[in-house]
Amino acid sequence: MSFSLSRSASRRASRGVVVGTAVAASAVLLLSSCSVANSEPTAGAGSSDTIRIVLSQEPPTLEACESNLTSTGVVMRSNVTEPLVERNPTTGDLDPLLATSWEQTSDTEWTFTLRDDVTFSDGTPFNAEAAAFTIDRAVNSDLACNVEGYVFGDDDLVVNAVDDTTLTVTTVSPDPILPLRLSFIEIVPTSTDATAKVREPIGTGPYVIAQWDTGTKLTLERNDDYWGAAPAYATAEYQWRSEGTVRAAMITSGEADIAMGLGPDDGVGDLGLDYPNNETVALRMTAEIAPLNDIRVREAVNYAIDKSGIIDSLYQGAHIAAAQLVPEGIVGHNADLQPWEFDIDKAKALVAEAKADGVPVDETITIVARNAQFPKVSEMSQVLQEQLTQAGLTVELKMVDTTQHLQYQLRPFVDNEGAIALLIQHGNQAGDAQFSADQYMTTTGAQSVYGTAEFDAMLEAASTKTGAERQAAYEDIFEYQNDEIVQFAFISHQTGTIGKAANVNYTPNSSSGDELRIAEITPAS
Amino acid sequence: MLTFLRRRIVSSALPLLVVVLGVFALARLTGNPASLYLPLNATEQMRADFTEKNGLDNPIWVQMADYFAGVLRLDFGQSLRTGESAAAMALRAFPATLQLAGTTMLLAVVLAVIVGSWAALKPNGIADRISSFVSMAAASVPDFWLAIMGIWVFAITLGWLPTSGVGGLSSWVLPILTLLLRPFGVLVQIVRGAMVSSLSEPYIKLARSKGASEFRVVTRHALRNAAAPALTVAGDLAVGLINGAVVVESIFGWPGIGKLMIDSILQRDFAVLQAAVLLTAISIFILNILIDLGYAGLDARVRPAGKRSKASKAATAVLTEPKEGKRYVQTAP
Repeated sequence: MSFSLSRSASRRASRGVVVGTAVAASAVLLLSSCSVANSEPTAGAGSSDTIRIVLSQEPPTLEACESNLTSTGVVMRSNVTEPLVERNPTTGDLDPLLATSWEQTSDTEWTFTLRDDVTFSDGTPFNAEAAAFTIDRAVNSDLACNVEGYVFGDDDLVVNAVDDTTLTVTTVSPDPILPLRLSFIEIVPTSTDATAKVREPIGTGPYVIAQWDTGTKLTLERNDDYWGAAPAYATAEYQWRSEGTVRAAMITSGEADIAMGLGPDDGVGDLGLDYPNNETVALRMTAEIAPLNDIRVREAVNYAIDKSGIIDSLYQGAHIAAAQLVPEGIVGHNADLQPWEFDIDKAKALVAEAKADGVPVDETITIVARNAQFPKVSEMSQVLQEQLTQAGLTVELKMVDTTQHLQYQLRPFVDNEGAIALLIQHGNQAGDAQFSADQYMTTTGAQSVYGTAEFDAMLEAASTKTGAERQAAYEDIFEYQNDEIVQFAFISHQTGTIGKAANVNYTPNSSSGDELRIAEITPAS
Repeated sequence: MLTFLRRRIVSSALPLLVVVLGVFALARLTGNPASLYLPLNATEQMRADFTEKNGLDNPIWVQMADYFAGVLRLDFGQSLRTGESAAAMALRAFPATLQLAGTTMLLAVVLAVIVGSWAALKPNGIADRISSFVSMAAASVPDFWLAIMGIWVFAITLGWLPTSGVGGLSSWVLPILTLLLRPFGVLVQIVRGAMVSSLSEPYIKLARSKGASEFRVVTRHALRNAAAPALTVAGDLAVGLINGAVVVESIFGWPGIGKLMIDSILQRDFAVLQAAVLLTAISIFILNILIDLGYAGLDARVRPAGKRSKASKAATAVLTEPKEGKRYVQTAP
């Protein structure tokens, strides 16, 4: 029997055809050219000309005066822009870069002699005027540059371009480490906007910013007019993945040559390189709130922590037990200082002694730690809670996110939750102990919860010294902290891990996390 | 149709407003983000300057008024992190998520219809049991785990696909597969259930007895009636996808709005968060309208009664009302 479609049925059929076509058309449209909206393809096989780097996050900006921010500096510093002087991460000395020499010409004045053979990548010459402009813009202006807060504080600098190759910098008070501070200022031309931050600046470095596909990829290209030695790679491509396991996977599968910020569990295997990254982990104790206001209790906390046990079980022995806030390589590090030994009996005895004297040792101490601050931070916090409890203290654990953690870490501190042992991670990237000491050890330091007038005087005196005297003064300070102040229970100096593909040669150093110099990466032959 | 649209737009404006105000207020309850944006050793003066410059020291209603005044000028504020326009950042990230979510949903629906119908043909048969098991497993698997496993198996071990990133067709496979599984699992169950009940209706027996092929029975007759509940559920699932496949975008480095939202939450980047939420809310509202229209297209019973044209009204009047002066009476010949 034939079955012909009635009129309404055929209308329904044609509607079905229309719907079907619409669906198919939208599918084709969505997959049009199989490209993702607003992005260029990122996948690419390695070539001997291109170095592919994967970071943990996208730089929020490439503004030169924000280069002390790790996510910005890792791309910019000494790649696109350069400072006058540069700190050598291995020796701790200052090396000349855009400045050839410098000297302290008076108590408050330093004079720098600059190179005369450098041009910015846009062709304009580098000279003292550009240097003065950059310092002014970064430190004295209203831009609120990150580097201003990081190394300079509220005081302004007076800069003067005496002639094309001579620059004087005058400080408010005598500053023996001004050149070290200036190593954080990346020089930009006078054509840079002085009233607003610039997302993609121009510099004097061996690379220029070629293209930034926001959200996807950032490409640098070799600057053929660079004044120094030409680097090996013509192009550098940066991508970012927030998951450490994915960054490691990109190395093992050949999609990237260098991966930053890996952890021990990320699965990078033999392709991972460990390096000391200047980060120190410690508990900072509220030494004015009971029961931590008794020095014996704070000493007990130190004795109760099994540092080598933590390092061996959580970090495969890769970290170093710490006795002070800064690791080796930082000016002021005291190499003779021994970490507090692990002695649970001594810890118990100290707590019992304090209890007998009426100290309320049963009052709760809260360990506050930040989620995902470093690999295995939650495990470490739990171990610390357990070990302090074994010493006879009542300890709770509180894990918080970054913003909440900062409320405990910075003035004005959280002061209505009783005694707090804050798990902090401090990285001294500047290279001088003063940056750590001023912050963490003075009575009024932004991250210090305890100090004494005597200690303040020692810190003040040390900051004015230079050379060997300076080194000795800070060594004394770290020893004094452990003997008389005990605001901290130091745990370890950490190591970082970089993934490195076999086709690439690179030796990481303590600055690699903040400043990945592409010129130091070469193809493996 | 237009009345329907107008009414929906008006009734959606209030929820939209509540969403934006809610996000505005809740975000600011987390405190001043100054310490996130300034170096740790920034001075009190710098923090005060930052707070003042970004208007964060004003009372919340002043901040809200400023924000809405800006919105009226189509200025949705600036990112605290990058300095770019918040609206530009949200608009730039959104299409990538739309592509991902749209393709995923399309594939999920098509595959679920095929598998669900096939399972429904013989309820409790082998095909049905297998598809039940597979779909429930798919609906229960956490997408984070699935993504990492997918990368490990297909990218690292087998080397068939890239680990992550955007690029050619191969870089779409893992993100879509990861996102696809849960909606697929849920939809298979829905389609199967709806198909089983519509396949047992009398009109199916009639169609079969008229000699219609099995294919025609399933597609033209049963599926049309099963489509409505499936569409509703699919719409709900699509909303979940549009809401930013946060996990998938973070893991695969997909430059979409989900990743933007989670980053702006963690960074307390208020303006970007508000812009992203607003954009997502608007698109969900549009999607709901489309679902309603589709639903009405499929099922005449739920079509909105709108204004009818004059001609149509006149025709009805002629047909139903007695002519003036005359009465319709059956008269004997």
